[in-house]
Amino acid sequence: MNKDKIFKLAKGFRGRAKNCIRIARERVEKALQYSYRDRRNKKRDMRSLWIERINAGTRLHGVNYGNFMHGLMKENIQLNRKVLSELSMHEPYSFKALVDISRNAFPGNKIPKKDGSSIVA
Amino acid sequence: MAAAAQPFKGNIKKALAGLRRINLEGLRWRVFDAKGQILGRLASQIATVVQGKDKPTYAPHQEDGDMCIVLNAKDVCVTGRKMTHKFYRWHTGYVGNLKERSLKDQLAKDPTEVIRKAVLRMLPRNRLRDDRDRKLRIFAGNEHPFGDRPLEPYMMPPRNVREIRPRARRALIRAQKKAEQGPSTPTKKDKAAEATA
Repeated sequence: MNKDKIFKLAKGFRGRAKNCIRIARERVEKALQYSYRDRRNKKRDMRSLWIERINAGTRLHGVNYGNFMHGLMKENIQLNRKVLSELSMHEPYSFKALVDISRNAFPGNKIPKKDGSSIVA
Repeated sequence: MAAAAQPFKGNIKKALAGLRRINLEGLRWRVFDAKGQILGRLASQIATVVQGKDKPTYAPHQEDGDMCIVLNAKDVCVTGRKMTHKFYRWHTGYVGNLKERSLKDQLAKDPTEVIRKAVLRMLPRNRLRDDRDRKLRIFAGNEHPFGDRPLEPYMMPPRNVREIRPRARRALIRAQKKAEQGPSTPTKKDKAAEATA
């Protein structure tokens, strides 16, 4: 009874871990531990991926992530990072509007000039 | 920046090696000019571009960086005494054989390796590292065989240079003064004669 459940969970494992009960039991226990841990890690990883995407999107417009979020907080725009990253990927014009709003609220970035002179505001 | 293909008959194979393995559609060809750039700062910009981290569609499991072409690799600069004091070390595996080569010698031997090592050591060590290495094309001179592709030059972000330290400034002023007076008083005896006179 229990063996069938274990083998059902051990589908796709490598080598003897999918066929032999002693090894499969260990591997399945480990797999369940990993999946418990990773259900919590996935939330962290997704958030950092959204932040990376937002950072890339705003740097295309000359603003970095920190100043962008500060400007949005000042304007009390409560869009979360998931939505912001989706906007930066698929809705470039809306995202540019958001970047402009943030820049008006918090102009903390040096404007990248092509001739090499940099002034930090 | 398009050049004649004649100077490239030697290593055109190396320049075009592995291009078929990369899925080239939708990728831009960014051109970096290393002339006068600091080695590490240039390498970190190249590493972000090759990883694709400047695009909002970045995904860590797929490889979507732009092709990077680096020109004038022999004119890359370093600060301080790194030209003579920075060593590339490797161990051959035999006991007691730790070999080393200074930056100056490496630039004389193969200037593209300097930038390639710098960028590779800044990329994350995962399975995509080899594919990213394939997207990097470095040339020592100013010419490259990719003239027919749509190329885009990369503007480096502006650099804050810190102001020169007092001791280095005094040395600079001394060197400038010597350069001004150099052609007029070449020998020591004349200077001694001037000092006593």
